[in-house]
Amino acid sequence: MGVLPQAAPSAMNLGAAAHFVARWYSVPLVLVVWEALSRSGTVSRRLMPSLVEIAEASWAALASGDLLFHAGISLTRAFTGYALAIVGGILLGVAMARSRLFDALFEPLFSFGYPVPKIALYPIFILVFGFGSLSKVTLIFLECLYPITVNAFYGMRSVDRVHVWAARNMGASERQIFWRVMLPGAAPQIFAGLRIALPISMIVVIITEMIGESRGLGYYIHDSSAAFEYARSFAGVAAVAVIGFTLDRVLVGLRNRLIFWERGTAFIGAG
Amino acid sequence: MSAAARPYPRGLRVVFGLALPVAGLIAWEISARYGTVPSYLIAPSVILAATWEMVLSGELWRHAGDSLFRALGGYAIGAAAGVAMGLLAGIARPVERFYDPIVSLTYPVPKIVVLPILIAWLGSGDGSKIAVVTAAVFYPSFINALYGAKSVNRIFVWSARNMGASPFQVFAGVILPAALPQVLSGLRIGLALAFIVTVAAEMHSSRTGLGNLINTAGDSMRFDLMYAALIAIAIFGFAGDRLILILRRRALAGQSLGKEGANA
Repeated sequence: MGVLPQAAPSAMNLGAAAHFVARWYSVPLVLVVWEALSRSGTVSRRLMPSLVEIAEASWAALASGDLLFHAGISLTRAFTGYALAIVGGILLGVAMARSRLFDALFEPLFSFGYPVPKIALYPIFILVFGFGSLSKVTLIFLECLYPITVNAFYGMRSVDRVHVWAARNMGASERQIFWRVMLPGAAPQIFAGLRIALPISMIVVIITEMIGESRGLGYYIHDSSAAFEYARSFAGVAAVAVIGFTLDRVLVGLRNRLIFWERGTAFIGAG
Repeated sequence: MSAAARPYPRGLRVVFGLALPVAGLIAWEISARYGTVPSYLIAPSVILAATWEMVLSGELWRHAGDSLFRALGGYAIGAAAGVAMGLLAGIARPVERFYDPIVSLTYPVPKIVVLPILIAWLGSGDGSKIAVVTAAVFYPSFINALYGAKSVNRIFVWSARNMGASPFQVFAGVILPAALPQVLSGLRIGLALAFIVTVAAEMHSSRTGLGNLINTAGDSMRFDLMYAALIAIAIFGFAGDRLILILRRRALAGQSLGKEGANA
């Protein structure tokens, strides 16, 4: 008896460690291959800087405040457009689901416009809204509006009728049905739309900053590449990667907290 | 709710659906002709005429051809690799183990960020554009193929094996058809992304292509050319999506019974 309780935790730790290695080994593997390639000299060291150089460049950019400055600008733009799209998209999606007039007016605009790359409108947006943040925020708003509206619409439409009937049968008012039955029923799909739109907001802000801007992470990456300082560009890429990953995790955490009765899937297709 | 949920009859829906775009176009045309609007708001009739002229002169085709080559080239590579690896990961644990952490760490990252670096590696021609499109298309193709293959009902696999099907037969006859709907959803998301990324990459740095045409035309105040390129991009994005939907309907002819409207 005395042996087992001691042996069990260590065996469990060993199992957990093995499991951890089996789960994550490929990430360090890729990094090791990268480092080996970079150091072997088969590829240009400047084009493929070693991880140490990238880490140093990241640290220098963090310490000087450059990275935080540009990240702050990109994030402000992305968030503004995203937040406006959340408000507009959910309102519009709900209105389309509840009013056949809104449905008839807007449904074609969304089903026809969805597959059209709206990024192509950027030069026009520059003409209308200028080179600064406004044209970028508007484009982010427009790109994010589509998935959010469409998912809110389908979410509201797919609410189980039996639940609505049951609530009505038990004497719930229309208002109560909306807030207590319809909206929670649509919430998983609304969040699916938010999750599709989040990386889109990042894509649009980065690409518009790459095209014509003197601030923001997109500019930072573009500028350091143009100056052949590739370690710095990789530092910028790493910053975008960390931000993209963190925001997605935060959104998933928020979703699982708000929609505690239903687990979400880990992935959805995002570019 | 039930009253609001019943849509208008079809004819009325078409009328309402056209109402906003047509009203917008008419307002645009009138204000461009008789009002004082900024020079970039040229009349839709002028835009159409310019577009038609460019179609006839072949200039639009040249740019469109370059863009299509990049978009479809990257799409073909990214989608083929993504679907093949995704299906493989769906049936082979070690493959899934290898990809899962990499994909889950990198998929929320906008792939376009590596474009300047790809340009340094591959030059500013077709190579870097095709590479960035490939990267963007790979993710949705892979993820959807993986989940499609994993969600196959185990009982079907067991029954097939029990009845003596070879591993290949199980894959081709059971897993592939069952995963197909989700594989096709991934391919649809991927195609839309391919066009977005191509246009974005061409706007960033290119000498040809529709994205480049929009940029240079806007810079040189040739707004008619800019709108012509916009129309071409919109048509490609839309037509590609419809084409995939048609393929999907054909491929899933026997499967989607009773699931009308299940996929947005």
